[in-house]
Amino acid sequence: MNERTSARASPVAALVLAWAIPGAGHAYGGRWGKAGLFFGCIVGLLIAGMILGGGTVFSQHELWYAAQVWAGGPTIALTPISRYLSVHEGIDYADRLRETGTLYTAVAGFLNLLVMMDAYLKMAYPHGKAEKEKE
Amino acid sequence: MGEALVNFFAHLVAPWNPLWAYYPLCAVAAVVYKATKFDEPRRILRASLHFFLWVTGGMFALAVVFYLITLVF
Repeated sequence: MNERTSARASPVAALVLAWAIPGAGHAYGGRWGKAGLFFGCIVGLLIAGMILGGGTVFSQHELWYAAQVWAGGPTIALTPISRYLSVHEGIDYADRLRETGTLYTAVAGFLNLLVMMDAYLKMAYPHGKAEKEKE
Repeated sequence: MGEALVNFFAHLVAPWNPLWAYYPLCAVAAVVYKATKFDEPRRILRASLHFFLWVTGGMFALAVVFYLITLVF
């Protein structure tokens, strides 16, 4: 893999990019394979959650949204659609599939948080933390 | 108890069991988690499969144990 080793590469930029677009933090670091994997998995979970929940999964509750928003850009892009659908088609709170869809999107958010931390740490300590401490 | 266990397993593998909806979620979570730990695709695949089987297998074993406890008490 062709990893970015330039001194100008910023771990904070990787963190912010990873939040804005899942996998973009790894792409910034030159890890294109992982970037594609993370993007596919996280955006796939969000889309699957939207389909399972009938499109209204981002209008469940603020606590759920606090987990979902870690998936960054895609969540923010899908929220207006979800709000529109929940106003015009209503929300069935007893629907089990909707609950499952909400869980899918919340887990996608938490997984992106993990991916963000990985992008930051791989950029801050490209050779592992132990080696950095030795220097 | 034998018949009850057979019924229990029949319910677990029935197509209408809502648990089926959670397996893909667990599989994706396993892949993302292991991809943050390893770099080689083959190792990621093997580690996520191992993780998925241990977690779901462990939950399955726990379910059986708790079900057997409910049969006894």
